[in-house]
Amino acid sequence: MKILVVDDSRIMRNIVKNSLLSDKKANHEFVEADNGVDAFNIIEKENIDILLVDWNMPHLNGLDLVKELRSLPKHAKLPIIMITSEAAKYNVIEAVKAGVNDYMIKPIKDDKLLEKIDQVLESVK
Amino acid sequence: MDTKYIEPFIEATINIFKEFYGEEPILKTPFLFDKNEDLGWDLSAVIGIAGETKGVITLSFPKDLIIKLTEKLVGYPIEDLDDDVVDSTGEVVNIIAGNAKKGLEQFRLVISLPSIVKGNNHKIAWPTNHNMPIISIPFETSMGLFHVSVGLENIIK
Repeated sequence: MKILVVDDSRIMRNIVKNSLLSDKKANHEFVEADNGVDAFNIIEKENIDILLVDWNMPHLNGLDLVKELRSLPKHAKLPIIMITSEAAKYNVIEAVKAGVNDYMIKPIKDDKLLEKIDQVLESVK
Repeated sequence: MDTKYIEPFIEATINIFKEFYGEEPILKTPFLFDKNEDLGWDLSAVIGIAGETKGVITLSFPKDLIIKLTEKLVGYPIEDLDDDVVDSTGEVVNIIAGNAKKGLEQFRLVISLPSIVKGNNHKIAWPTNHNMPIISIPFETSMGLFHVSVGLENIIK
């Protein structure tokens, strides 16, 4: 599975990748970006299976990236999980309205991330 | 001091330190920040608040403490206030601010990207504003003391 991890913090991207590597059965390929513009360009060029995206980032934030992707029919069904520190309910609602499949609040736990990814991939089958 | 709106920041800080650094900080007595006070800070992460109020949240450390905490997070030795320290401390203040919003949902708040201030024994001088006193919340760890400072105009009084 090709996973795009988008976060402006390199350490946070490593935490997310290490969480996924704790699943020894899986064979993931990771692609990374530190802002929404680069992430959008990667999605346009590569076959990404799932997008894990932060909210607060420079250039194009995660919420606007999701809106942009969902406005394009070819990316309408791309599985997206937002992983962010934005813990207020109104933020969660805003992200769901924008089109995320699921939402996780930092700090994340390894098993929860794996569980969410399975759930999201199952729901879009 | 009205501590009601300070509590979400205290709770977020304790939870995040446990998760990120495996270290449960002990809350000491919050105090009204005096900008002339020297608290021995060498690195501060600063995040701005906008929306239904405006304000600032900072997370400030002495050098030795933030280096030791970052080493616990990344799992390898760190010599100085390098990119790993800057990156992770910015992320931690972002997570504290974002998680604290959950306890302040009656106000719609927007948080900015973090900035980092480095400097031996630096001070942070917020604009003098009686509608936005800055409350400093000290926390003790096994490796030293750090501060979370919060100012939210017309909310934290």
